[in-house]
Amino acid sequence: METLDHLLAGFAAALSFQNLAFALAGCIFGTLVGVLPGVGPAAGTAILIPLTFNLDPAGAIIMLSAIYYGAMYGGTITSVLLNVPGEAASVITCIEGYQMARKGRGGAALGIAAIGSFIGGTVAVIALVVVAAPLAALALKFGPPEFFALMLFGLCLVTGLAGRSLIAGILMTVAGLLIAMIGIDPTRGAPRFTFGMPELYDGLGFIPVVMGLFGIGEILATAEKPYREIVRTNLRDVMPNAEEWKASMGAIWRGTGIGFFLGLIPGVGSIIPTFMSYILEKRISKHPEKFGTGLIEGVAGPETANNSYANAAMVPLLTLGIPSSPTIAVLMGAFIINGLTPGPFLFTEKPVLVWTIIASFFIGNVILLILNLPLVGLWAKILEVPYQYICVGTVLFCMIGAYSINSSVFDIWVMLGFGVIGYLLRKLDFPLAPAVLGLILGPQLEKSLRTSLEMSAGDFSIFFTRPITVVLLVLSALVLLVSALNLAPSQLREASED
Amino acid sequence: MKRGWIVASLVFLALFCATIWQSVSLPLLDELGPGPGFFPLWLAGIGAVLSLLLVIETARAPDPSPGEALIPASDALFRVASVVVMLAVGAALLDWLGWRLTALIVTAVLLPALGARSPIAIAAFVLAASFGVFHVFYYWLKVPLPIGTFGI
Repeated sequence: METLDHLLAGFAAALSFQNLAFALAGCIFGTLVGVLPGVGPAAGTAILIPLTFNLDPAGAIIMLSAIYYGAMYGGTITSVLLNVPGEAASVITCIEGYQMARKGRGGAALGIAAIGSFIGGTVAVIALVVVAAPLAALALKFGPPEFFALMLFGLCLVTGLAGRSLIAGILMTVAGLLIAMIGIDPTRGAPRFTFGMPELYDGLGFIPVVMGLFGIGEILATAEKPYREIVRTNLRDVMPNAEEWKASMGAIWRGTGIGFFLGLIPGVGSIIPTFMSYILEKRISKHPEKFGTGLIEGVAGPETANNSYANAAMVPLLTLGIPSSPTIAVLMGAFIINGLTPGPFLFTEKPVLVWTIIASFFIGNVILLILNLPLVGLWAKILEVPYQYICVGTVLFCMIGAYSINSSVFDIWVMLGFGVIGYLLRKLDFPLAPAVLGLILGPQLEKSLRTSLEMSAGDFSIFFTRPITVVLLVLSALVLLVSALNLAPSQLREASED
Repeated sequence: MKRGWIVASLVFLALFCATIWQSVSLPLLDELGPGPGFFPLWLAGIGAVLSLLLVIETARAPDPSPGEALIPASDALFRVASVVVMLAVGAALLDWLGWRLTALIVTAVLLPALGARSPIAIAAFVLAASFGVFHVFYYWLKVPLPIGTFGI
C-alpha cells in the first residue's frame, strides 16, 4: 500500500508540465543520438548531460533516462534501414529488420519494434515497481563485505561475457579500477597518482572518459568508413498486418520476460537478452530455416527484450547502486553529478524523487510510442544528412559535454586521450565495457573492501564467514570458470560488448 | 592484429609496472587497516600478471584476423587524424579564443577535411555551430561556455 502511495505521488510529480516536457525532450534527443551513426547510447547520454545542468535533480534524471530509452530505440532505425546497428543491442535486429526493409516492410519492422518496446518497457516498469522497494529494503541489511562481493559479482559477469579473451576482459576491468584510483584517497585523504597536478586531485572525470572511449572512439572508427547506403523502403505503413501481428505477439511476451529477468542481473549487457530472444524464437519456430530472410518475430522478440532489459536494468541501479552496462553507468554518473547516490538509501532518503523517476519511466514509454510511430519517416530522413556534418556536430557536442562539467579544458584533453585509446582498443577488439564499469565501481569497491578489512582487523576471512558474501563470491568464481572453460555460448561472448 | 594485441599487452604491462612502482611509495597498511597503496598495488600486480599471460596467449594463438591492418588506408587515416588534430586545436584554443571563435575555426577546417564541399552549407553550419550553439547553451541552457580574450 505504501508503495502504491509513493507511486501515485511520483505520478503526480512526473505528470507536471515541466517533467513531461523533460521526458519528451529526452525521448526526442535520445532517438536522435540513437539514429546518428557513430553515437551509441552511452556516448549519447554522456554528451547530452550538459543539457540537464540547470534542471532540478528529478528533471535531470527524467530527461537523461528518456534519452537512454530514446537512444535504444533510435539504434533500431539504423539497424533496419542501414543494416548498421546504432547501438550494440540492435545488432540482432539487423538480421531480420534489414531483410524486411529490403522487402518493402521496413515500416512494419520499425512499427513492431516500437510497439514491442512499449509493451516490454511498460511490463518491466510494473515489475520494477513490485520488486524495487523489497529489494532496496533487503539491500539495507547489506554491510560492506556484501556490497564488495556484489560489486565483484557484477564485474565478473561483465568480464566473463566480454569479448573473445577472458584475460583481456579481466585486464580491462583492472585498468578501469586503477583509473578510478587516481585522485584523493577516499578514506585517508592522501593524493594518489596525481603527479602534482591539481586537476587530478578529483580524479579523472567519469563523463570525459566515457565520452572519449565511446563517443570520440566511435567517431574516429566511423570516420574511417563513413559512407553507407540507406535502403529505400515503405515507411508510410508502420502498422503490421494481421499475419505479422499473429507472428509477433508471442515473441513480444517472451522477449518481455527474457529482458526483464536478465536486466535484474548486474553485469548482463543489453545485447545478451536480444540474442537470447532471437535464439529462442528460432528454436521454437515451425520454420527456423526462414530466419534470416526477414521474419517479423525476429524483430519483435529482440526489440521487446531490449527495452524490457533497459527498464529492468534500473532495478540494480536504483536498489543496489550497481550499473548493468556502460550506459547505465553514465546514468549513475548523472545521479552523482546531481548529488544523488543510487542505492537502497535513496528509497529512504529521497522517496518522492525515486518514485517520480520510476513514474516517469511509464510516461517515457508512452511518449516513445506516440513519438516513434508517426515520426519514423522523419528519423529516416536524418540518416540522409551527410556524415561530415554529423561527425563535426558530434565532436562539438563532445567538447561542450566534457568542458562544461568542470568548466575545464583539461577534461577535453582527457576525453581526447581516451578517445584515441578507445579507437585503438576498438580496432583491436579489446572489450571496453568492463573498463567503464570498473571505473564507476572502483571507488565504492575499494571503500567496501577497506572498510570490511578495517571491521575484521585485516582478516580476509570476513568474506568467507557471511552467507550472502560466500554465495556471491562462489557465483563470481563460477562465472569466471565458465568463461575460462569456454562454456558460455561463443556468440554471446563475442557480441556482449555494450 | 596479432602484433597489435602483443604491443597493446606490453603497453598495459608497462603501465601496470609503473603503477606498482607508484603504489609502493604510498602507505600499504596503517593502524586503521589497509592504506592508500593497498588496493592499487594488488590491482596493478594482478594486471601485470594478466598482461604477461595475454602476451603469451596471443603469441601462441593463431591470428584471428590476419591481413587486417591496425593503421587505416591513407584517406581514412587523414580523416581520423583530422578529427584528432582539430579536437586538440580546439582544446588548445578554447580558453584563449572562447567558444565562438574556436568552434568557428574547428568546424571551418574540419568540414572540408572530412569531405564536405558545399560552401553555403559549410558556412551555414560553421555559423550555427559557433554563434548559434553558444547562444543556445550560454543564454538558454545557462551552460557557461568560455568567452575569449577578445570578448567574443
